[in-house]
Amino acid sequence: MASFLTLERLSKRFGEQRVLEQVSLEVGHGEILVLLGPSGSGKTTLLRLIAGFEEPDEGRLTVDGSDVTALPPNRRNFGMVFQHYALFPHLTVGQNVGFGLGARGVGRREAVPRIAEALALVDLAGFEARRVHQISGGQQQRVALARALAPGPRLLLLDEPLSNLDPALRERTRRQLREALERVSMTALWVTHEQEEAFAVGDRVALLHEGRLAQLGPPEELYLEPRSRFVAGFVGRAGWLAGQLAPGGELLAGDDRFVGHAVRWPAVAAEPLATGDPVDALLRPESLRLVDPDGSADSLAGEVRSRRYAGETTYYEVELAVGARLLVADAHDAARAGQRVAVALRPDGSPPRLFRREEPE
Amino acid sequence: MSPAGRRLAGGGVAVVLAWLVGYPLALTVLEALGLPRQPTLEHLAEFARRPDEWQALWRSLWISAASVLLAAALGVPLAFVFARLEFPGRRLLGGLVALPVALPPLVGVIAFLFLFGESGFLSRGVQAALGLAAPPWRLQGAGAILLVHAYSMYVYFYLFTRAALARLDASMEEAAAVLGAGRRRTLARVTLPLLWPALVGAALLTFMTSLASFSAPYIFGGGFRVMTTQIVASKLNGEIAMAQVETVTLAVLAFLGLWAMRRVDPARRVVVGGVRGVAPRRRELKGATARLAATALGWGLALALLLPHLTLLLISFVPPGTWTVETLPPVLDAGNYAALAGCRERLRPVVNSLWMAAAATLGAIALGLLAADLSLKLRGRLGAWLETLLAVPWAVPGTVFAIALASAFSVRAPLAGRFVLVGTAWILPLAYLVRSLPLTGRGALAGLRQMDPALVEAAGSLGAGRWRTLWRVRLPLLRPALLAGGALAFITALGDFVTSIVLYTYDTRPISIEILSSLRLQETGVAAVYGVLLTLIGAAAFLTRGGEEAV
Repeated sequence: MASFLTLERLSKRFGEQRVLEQVSLEVGHGEILVLLGPSGSGKTTLLRLIAGFEEPDEGRLTVDGSDVTALPPNRRNFGMVFQHYALFPHLTVGQNVGFGLGARGVGRREAVPRIAEALALVDLAGFEARRVHQISGGQQQRVALARALAPGPRLLLLDEPLSNLDPALRERTRRQLREALERVSMTALWVTHEQEEAFAVGDRVALLHEGRLAQLGPPEELYLEPRSRFVAGFVGRAGWLAGQLAPGGELLAGDDRFVGHAVRWPAVAAEPLATGDPVDALLRPESLRLVDPDGSADSLAGEVRSRRYAGETTYYEVELAVGARLLVADAHDAARAGQRVAVALRPDGSPPRLFRREEPE
Repeated sequence: MSPAGRRLAGGGVAVVLAWLVGYPLALTVLEALGLPRQPTLEHLAEFARRPDEWQALWRSLWISAASVLLAAALGVPLAFVFARLEFPGRRLLGGLVALPVALPPLVGVIAFLFLFGESGFLSRGVQAALGLAAPPWRLQGAGAILLVHAYSMYVYFYLFTRAALARLDASMEEAAAVLGAGRRRTLARVTLPLLWPALVGAALLTFMTSLASFSAPYIFGGGFRVMTTQIVASKLNGEIAMAQVETVTLAVLAFLGLWAMRRVDPARRVVVGGVRGVAPRRRELKGATARLAATALGWGLALALLLPHLTLLLISFVPPGTWTVETLPPVLDAGNYAALAGCRERLRPVVNSLWMAAAATLGAIALGLLAADLSLKLRGRLGAWLETLLAVPWAVPGTVFAIALASAFSVRAPLAGRFVLVGTAWILPLAYLVRSLPLTGRGALAGLRQMDPALVEAAGSLGAGRWRTLWRVRLPLLRPALLAGGALAFITALGDFVTSIVLYTYDTRPISIEILSSLRLQETGVAAVYGVLLTLIGAAAFLTRGGEEAV
């Protein structure tokens, strides 16, 4: 995909604090890129740098090949949806949506149909005369989107656009936003701290950690092939098992003096490792299953500590006899709390991912 | 704007503010010490030698302290009644009760004169009812001053306490109740301590207003001089140096007050901080008797508070020379109004006051907004300076400013930033502008602090430049704050007496000066008409805009 928005080594510090360090990434035309990260990771600062509300200390920002680093926000032609929407309380819904058109010198006659079109895009046709405080939170959120889209920006920035909605509304609005963006094939950067939201809306996800880009890729890549422990831990549920790298790249874990207490599982190294290196293996719940503790080879015995029903699957927290806790996704009736079980690798599950064991400090 | 450009603009605004606010005060201090030409402590020594100076100082202090007590005794219970009880007419009365704050002090004073004065409405009534040969009392001296102060300044306690009660978290009192505290114990141990910062704030405000009060001591004081009247008397006697020393003394007292006020502020944040809850619900009065009593009390009170102004209205309809010994005026007509409307010379003060107040208010809004905006954007030392300069004229009594401006702008020295403005049409609008800066500046600061920065960014992201953002987003959002500050500034300037009496010329005489000369000429009806005009304009401005924030 040809790059539309390019960030080259953007850095920003506030006083002594380094907020962003050498962040580079490219966004393709029509792509929705999610900036994901815990609070304080720099994702909002990065969005504000792109919008032009902050100036980078170093680095360059180009759109469609032209440098916009020094351009003020009002001349970038980007749209933005703010976390608290920032709808102008003294203007009606229609005047809010038309604000950007007026700023670009679009006359009234032309503006009226474009306002209606933008409102229709977010399923709010006919809402022009309403006051901002007369509509619900979800509707305000969509007005904010319509306002940002109405002038036809070349790029849309969304700052935690769903964080003010209750969970039920959040999922529906998320779908509506995504659909509206696809309909106008808008290039968008979407900031969130919620992994589920990131995976649901993003074509690709950029995970930020302490001001640096931790990993950039499609959701499944971040989930199944995390490049670091941080990515593995932040994205999705994770269990960790200590072991070592066996010849042939396999994971050797547990105590091999006892049957049912040691496993030798196929594995993938996330970083360069040598045979015999102590490793921590990342195990996703979906890659594991519960088996009979007696007589199952290549499994680890333990006891179910708790079970949590989650709709299509149930999560079992299993305390292994070798001293680790793993999360296993299995059928609702696979085990009871307190039951003795063993944990095995699913044949079709993704293999454990191995990271060099960190020496305890 | 780039940071450097912003600092430059901030520096420029700071220089203008310093020139208008700080410079005249500094010059007054220097000249009181004979600086720079003939340094001398002679004027100070002279001040210290005169017993009447010490007496005026002492009177200023104790009158102010007594005013605080009286105003609190009236204002705090009133605030509780209106914040906590529900009865018919509560909303309307709650607004009316705050009205005296919007009325020019001089108008209140002459209304009192017409009501309680020797030949006042009430005195005559009592005299006739009891068949006395002489008026039952004389409205003069400390008692009269305190009466007027209590009447006009209880509003500070009322407004501060009501605001604090509205902020008070109901769960605080509920917690006290659950822990077994009765109503009285809850009030003493929980509610009042939580209100304490607001009460201290109101007390200081009352104290400083009282310290600066001029109209009441001037009209009712007679031989009872306080610092403000002492200063004006010295100035009129031609003792300029003495007036300057007195001015400096009063200014020092005022700055001590401001300093005390600043120290209270952080405490307020600590006490009120934390999670904001919901204010307690108003108690609906049960039982017909209680409701009737509350309603009657409320309306009676409002009537009592409005009585001086109703008297003013009545007097404005009394033709000259028709009301001599009767209890009630025998003739009422609109002759005084017609006389005023038909005479250019009599309309002139109205026109003067209107244009001078309007010009001063517009200037003060523009300068206040600019300075407030820059002070927030710059932060740091320059920002703090801007904010301080905005606040200073509020702390400094009007008399002090009048003397300072008279000293600074009666000399031609362009290189030193001094021009002859005294005696021209510019000095009064300038004085009003400087005195209005704290009102407009604080309004702008409050409005800017409340404004969500995301709204300005949203305008930018939608393609609006600086001016469009200012015009379409920032100004409309700031409008309530600017109008509230502007309305109060306009009312204050329109009714100003204290600076006008020092700085006016015959051609630029404002309404207040005309009221005074009408009184001297025994034209009470005409004076009342001017008073009614000021009251109406003031009340209109207050009720439409100024009241929004205050109540």
